[in-house]
Amino acid sequence: MRNLIMKSLNRYTLLFVLLFAMTGCDGDWLVREPESIITEEQVWNDPEMIEGLLANYYDRLPRFHSLTDGQGQGWAEFALFTNAMWSGQENRDGLLNIENYGTTWWALWDYDLIRDLNLAIENIDQYSTELDPDQKNQFKAELRFLRAWVYFQHVKRMGGVPLVTETLEYDFSGDPSSVQIPRSTEAEIYNFIGSELDAIQDSLGHNAGSQTRANKYTALALKSRTMLYAGSVAYHNSRMSQPITLENEDGGRLVGIPGEMAQGYYEEALAAAEEVIQNSPNTLYNGVSGDPGANFYQAVTVKDGNNEVIFAEDFMASADRRHLFTYFNIPRPIREDNLDSSSLTPGLGLIEAYPYVDGSSGELQTRDATTGDYVYYDSVGEIFEGKDGRMDGTVIVPGESFRGQSVPMQAGVKVWNTSSGSYETVEGSALGSTYSGEEGGPEVDWTLTAGGGPHRTVQNVSASGFYLRKFVDNTTGASTRGTQSDTWWVRMRLSEMYLNAAEAAYQLSQLGGSATAQDAADYINVLRERAGFEQSGMLDGSSIDFETIMNERRIELAFEGHRLWDLIRWRRAHQVWNGDDSNPTANVAALYPYRVYRPGTPMHGKYVFDKIGPQAPSFVNARWFQMANYYARIPQDAINNNPELVQNPFH
Amino acid sequence: MYKVTKKIMGFLMFALIFIWQNDVHAQQVSGTVTTQANQETLPGVNIVVKGTSIGTSTNSEGNYQLTVPSLQDTLVFSFVGFQTREVPINGRTEIDISMQPQVVTGEEMVVVGYGEQQVESVTGSISSVSSEDLQETPSVTTGDALVGKVQGVTARQADARPGSPPQIEIRNLGDPLFVIDGVPSTEGDFAQLGQGDIESISVLKDASAAVYGLRASSGVVLVQTKDGGYGQDTEININGYYGWQNYTRYPQPANAYQYVRGKVYAAQNRGETQLPYTEEELQNWRQGGGEYQSYDYYDIVMEPMVPQNQLGASVSGGSESISYYLSATHLTQKAVIEDYSFDRTNIQANIEGTISDRLTLGAEISARMENRQNVGVPGLDDYFNPFLSVFSMWPTEAPYANNNPNYVNDVHNVNVNPATYTRDITGWVNDIWRQGRFNINAEYDFDFGLTLSGTGSYQIGSWDFDGFEYTYNAYQYDEENDEYIPVQGNDNPWRERRWRNNVNRFLSFQADYSVDIGNHSISALAAYERSDFRGDEQRIHTVPDNNYINVMSFSNQDLLIHAIEKQAHAGYVGRFNYNYDEKYLLELLGRYDGSFLFPEDNRWGFFPGISAGWRVSEEEFFDDAFGNTISNLKIRASYGRTGSETDSGNNFIIAPFSYRSGYDYYAGSSVFDGSYYTGVGPRGRPITNVSWITAVTKNIGLDISFFDDRLSATIDVFERRRDGLPATPQDLVVPEELGYDTPPQNLNSDAARGIEGSISYNGQIGQDISYRVGANATLSRWRVLSDENFRAGNSWDYYRNSPEDRWSAITWGYQVIGRFQSQEQIDNYPVNIDGQGNRTALPGDLIYKDVNGDGIITDLDQRPIGYAQGWNPYTSFGFNGSFSYKGANLSFNLAGAAMQSYTRDWELRYFFQNNGNSPEFMLTDRWHRADPFDPTSEWIPGHYPANRGPNYGHYNYQSNNYWTHNVWYLRLQNLQLGYTIPRDLLAQVGVKSLRVYVKGTNLYSFDNMKKYQIDPEISATNGLVYPRQSMYSFGFDLSL
Repeated sequence: MRNLIMKSLNRYTLLFVLLFAMTGCDGDWLVREPESIITEEQVWNDPEMIEGLLANYYDRLPRFHSLTDGQGQGWAEFALFTNAMWSGQENRDGLLNIENYGTTWWALWDYDLIRDLNLAIENIDQYSTELDPDQKNQFKAELRFLRAWVYFQHVKRMGGVPLVTETLEYDFSGDPSSVQIPRSTEAEIYNFIGSELDAIQDSLGHNAGSQTRANKYTALALKSRTMLYAGSVAYHNSRMSQPITLENEDGGRLVGIPGEMAQGYYEEALAAAEEVIQNSPNTLYNGVSGDPGANFYQAVTVKDGNNEVIFAEDFMASADRRHLFTYFNIPRPIREDNLDSSSLTPGLGLIEAYPYVDGSSGELQTRDATTGDYVYYDSVGEIFEGKDGRMDGTVIVPGESFRGQSVPMQAGVKVWNTSSGSYETVEGSALGSTYSGEEGGPEVDWTLTAGGGPHRTVQNVSASGFYLRKFVDNTTGASTRGTQSDTWWVRMRLSEMYLNAAEAAYQLSQLGGSATAQDAADYINVLRERAGFEQSGMLDGSSIDFETIMNERRIELAFEGHRLWDLIRWRRAHQVWNGDDSNPTANVAALYPYRVYRPGTPMHGKYVFDKIGPQAPSFVNARWFQMANYYARIPQDAINNNPELVQNPFH
Repeated sequence: MYKVTKKIMGFLMFALIFIWQNDVHAQQVSGTVTTQANQETLPGVNIVVKGTSIGTSTNSEGNYQLTVPSLQDTLVFSFVGFQTREVPINGRTEIDISMQPQVVTGEEMVVVGYGEQQVESVTGSISSVSSEDLQETPSVTTGDALVGKVQGVTARQADARPGSPPQIEIRNLGDPLFVIDGVPSTEGDFAQLGQGDIESISVLKDASAAVYGLRASSGVVLVQTKDGGYGQDTEININGYYGWQNYTRYPQPANAYQYVRGKVYAAQNRGETQLPYTEEELQNWRQGGGEYQSYDYYDIVMEPMVPQNQLGASVSGGSESISYYLSATHLTQKAVIEDYSFDRTNIQANIEGTISDRLTLGAEISARMENRQNVGVPGLDDYFNPFLSVFSMWPTEAPYANNNPNYVNDVHNVNVNPATYTRDITGWVNDIWRQGRFNINAEYDFDFGLTLSGTGSYQIGSWDFDGFEYTYNAYQYDEENDEYIPVQGNDNPWRERRWRNNVNRFLSFQADYSVDIGNHSISALAAYERSDFRGDEQRIHTVPDNNYINVMSFSNQDLLIHAIEKQAHAGYVGRFNYNYDEKYLLELLGRYDGSFLFPEDNRWGFFPGISAGWRVSEEEFFDDAFGNTISNLKIRASYGRTGSETDSGNNFIIAPFSYRSGYDYYAGSSVFDGSYYTGVGPRGRPITNVSWITAVTKNIGLDISFFDDRLSATIDVFERRRDGLPATPQDLVVPEELGYDTPPQNLNSDAARGIEGSISYNGQIGQDISYRVGANATLSRWRVLSDENFRAGNSWDYYRNSPEDRWSAITWGYQVIGRFQSQEQIDNYPVNIDGQGNRTALPGDLIYKDVNGDGIITDLDQRPIGYAQGWNPYTSFGFNGSFSYKGANLSFNLAGAAMQSYTRDWELRYFFQNNGNSPEFMLTDRWHRADPFDPTSEWIPGHYPANRGPNYGHYNYQSNNYWTHNVWYLRLQNLQLGYTIPRDLLAQVGVKSLRVYVKGTNLYSFDNMKKYQIDPEISATNGLVYPRQSMYSFGFDLSL
């Protein structure tokens, strides 16, 4: 027995030694297969994988404003300008306090994405063996659309950039001159975009009718926008007292476009816009009759049955592609989560930019012009009656509701002091406080400061007197962090085409081109009619002017990411945002409603309004757009690494 | 020089051998061996003549008799559990000696990589801690028991929430490799061991770690768990303690009066005319009571004297062929915040059996469960909000509506109302980690000195995170109708589970050979090992319909995240040891190591090391000269190369699979036409030319002891230089328009340099008192040697920003040279400090030094003002001692550190940060006017600048040495009084031994952070973190 054990032990020993020796061959032990990497061949022969690739590229399209939140490309950036101010978390109070726009705030140099797009355009030819030619063409055209979009994002921020349309490879030989590409002129980039869009628009048939992938009319809409931008840079830049320009050795303009090119661009912009208006399946949304405000809100924010949107970045809560825009921006009194709300609050300037539907100025009447006394309103919402329906669709003003819930807004109570013959202002230190009257006066059970403010110091409640409605989701639960929202971010919609056409037509009428001022008025009247304007509010060739066209874009497209770029291409940004604390257009003002406590008079119980401006409470610095901001600073690394590059002017 | 030394040494050796050989005359020596403490005789003590096999042992009376070759020989007395003593005969024939129980230096053997070595023959810098030592300072985590004990080990407990370990580093080199019973393990495995199960811990600090190759460049911590011992009687041990914990420190919030007054001051100092409170209101708040009640949210959130306790039991012993050790330990630690707790259960079963004379099989099975129970507070970290609420809540508002504890008050920000922080109201999180490890060992001894052994290990770890955050209402009290009106509290229900499964596999084969040929002693080791890891993690989130049902439903699910991690490593190990007569020691070692992280060409690396030692005290000439005073002297030197695939924070230097091209699945996403499309993203150019970082460790050390080893000291000087830290090469200027980055290469280098040492003394006063005192210290600091990515634009840029050839992570800032004493001084001050002609300054504001003398303070005036922040301190030190009188024992342990920087920020810097309250000291000790309602009243000085509310952009708040402190501390970590019940009393009840003790942990700290009421070890700049606890406890240790 014992011998047997010893024998087998010796065998084990031998085995042991053998094992030890065998372990020398462990070449494969260190090779592990990753679980989520796929190969070129797998991608390019599977349409679903190519669509996955497109999903990646669409997702990476540069954005300055959006519904997601990120440094330099989020919704919080709306608070940098003057349509709205920051009323949210205190730790981002810096958004109220910017001294200037900095030189790189909207700088972009995303050649990683351009390379990936170029590489994809090349690889689809190299690796796709199993796709039919039609499919190949479609994907290629879509990739070229994306590349055009990315170049447009660059040119509007940076001016002319190096035009790279093939993948560049460097062999690390020590001589990189072959891959040092100089900047093209600004016009060349716009021309490239225009010609690309012309070349591909008929190859995008598979996507016809899509609002989230490029089709023929997406391409045309982008063309209309880019050509309008090019035209207005040519037109307005050359009309500045000192045009912004930067020439290369051959006299080409790296920034700025010669004025004489304006007409051609405007013609193309008008033609493209007209084609979209006339031939595309997109139509202006008219789903809610009799309520232009509700209709306008749905035209932008609601997806169901919305044919107006041409191109959007869509979200889908059930697949965890969602955003917190509603959580951060829902009005305080009706928020569903307990931490955040009310971050972006529109200012008085934007509210007053909306005319009354009879065509009269949008200025709110808070004081009697002759007596200087308050104008007394029966309700807190009366002052807004008769306003442009687009205001209601964009903003929640006092007296309005959202999701069927009222959003109470009242800053305090005005108590009449008979001895001084003036009102004293009483405001609550907390929200939702009540007011029960003065000593000697009748007892009342009023709101002092409403749950929705406005309040001068409390955070996460409006400091400006208004709340945002556009893009704020009216679905239950959308303002909680658990559920979140999946409203879409509208990149292009049909209204813009009307406004593009109007602006191009108006400019052409000035330049002696093919359109008239009446054409421009007609395009705008379509939008005004939908917004509930009366006949007296309609424009005609004689009453329309450029200020009206600019204002119409501001109010129609508010919070859709147009204002900054519009003011840049019109070369008005440095005047509108001139850094002057007393300039209303460079600041955000507020409107505070009060209830009047003046027993024994007809004024008792009525509502009055204080305009607080030019700066609303807690708003600190006037917006200051400097000449350097017209073309952002090219990143220093890019300049350092490519001696062919020339920095933009004023940097 | 070298040659001359060699010649002299050769001559000395020859002379010594000659003397020894001429002195051979047999003689008789006899005597008695007793214990030092109580002079009891010791039977069974081994006595040998040193350097021979001649020996005997004491009889039952403790007497011995021995024939020795010469009366000039040395006798070696050894006995289990006692320090071995070497006693030169010096011509005597009767030698009575007493022996001392084993303490720190008593371990004969020390665990080194892949084996054990005799302490005497160790040539590397290795420190070890024995189980007795660990037992003396029971801590929740293993690392904490090392703090202040071992030179070279540095620690920082920046967050001491229940169950969390301190950041342990060896010589500040970064996260070390932990090896438990021969198997590479994680820091968590080490920290959460059952400390009663540890036999010894060894810390390999220099080239001695090179035997662990690719993962050893930050040092190695080796842990050996206990075994039973063949032929040992069965011993049952039960031990436990119970203690009460409190925070060492936490900033105290201001009361309502101070808060309201501060609000008025803030408005006054901002120049506002409309003040938020009237004089009358302020008086009311001062008097308090009724609606002017003040609420102390520190007291509301924290509860004092919360329990921590542990109970453990073990059975160990063995027969001729079986040895076993079985144990179970349970620890519970409540947090100082209600409803938060940690508990842990450890099980260890070590069994070994001899199958034949030559073959041994064994198994080590260990398992543990860590259970963390938190309140489910919305937001990321459940512990953070309670801390935040201490300062975010206003002391003027009540946690409960109408002070009725059934109704959460609708405060200004209900999210930080601590009334909601109970598992019943806001919800709960149960975070459980379960782990089991199974090691199987086999060893076969050949009769010619060769041993073959193998170990296989399989470990499964599972993480189970289970959280539910409820919806709840807050209430407003309607006094008139005595009604509680529900308003929104939290409408964001959150239910989440996260699962993780980790599987670690490990296999090693090892051959050991040792042979003595005369005075030449040789041993060699060859080993092969491979290991791999796979981790699977899943996260599921639902939006539940109600607060009652814990079962999750697909219809409510809105999130699924799945991730897989893989790793694999393999290595060949070789080591060769040689010593001549235990005097001249040499060790050569090497490791050939491979990692999955790198592409094929860069996968393998060779990491060699060499070390040598000279035991000077073994030389006869030395013995003659110093034999009575210096009992041991050893000089050591080592040079070793190790590799690293991770940065010092244990992150891979490049992402796994970076060498693979292709596309990543799940890279972004889009919704096209109402359908979801998973993104497929190009991976970019593969990174193929990055390989491991190489680290070269150099160490010179000296071990010395005096007076029969009563006084012993060790000192080591070291450097670890790392080359090949990944960076993008600067000479390759590649246009950004290429669209890809120049791939990184192994380019940069840095070094950690330092010195460490320890000294200890074992003494005796009269018959009954013995004592031991010791001290140790470590200084280790990082330096950047070269940084490829830095290019200076000008000489200032170079001075300010170049990291090259500088100490790492210096804090820069302005130097505060005083405070403005008056408005007049501000008006006339020649230097423009705020850039606005000092318009923004008030009396009490900081005066910065205009270093360049240009009359304006700009970035150019910033200078180094501090050390690294958040790192382990550059200097650590410890003092420890114990005193025994008969059965009683008093021991203490102090741990300290210096050369670390901390910046007060947020709640500790800005008044009313986050629209909340401030610490009391900020609102009482600040510059202010005598009368908050009189803006012309005189200024009264204080520590903080004048209160103007948060005022973030103000120049006072730029980086400067008013806010940044160079922290030092010395903490009384342990103070313990124990008593061992006399044996004869216990024998009657069948108890082998019983010890009882009372203990204080972290009772006091000497430091410079006291006035800010923060623990000196925290790194959170706002102070809102779980500080170390102080604890009073009592415990027992019973053996049957």
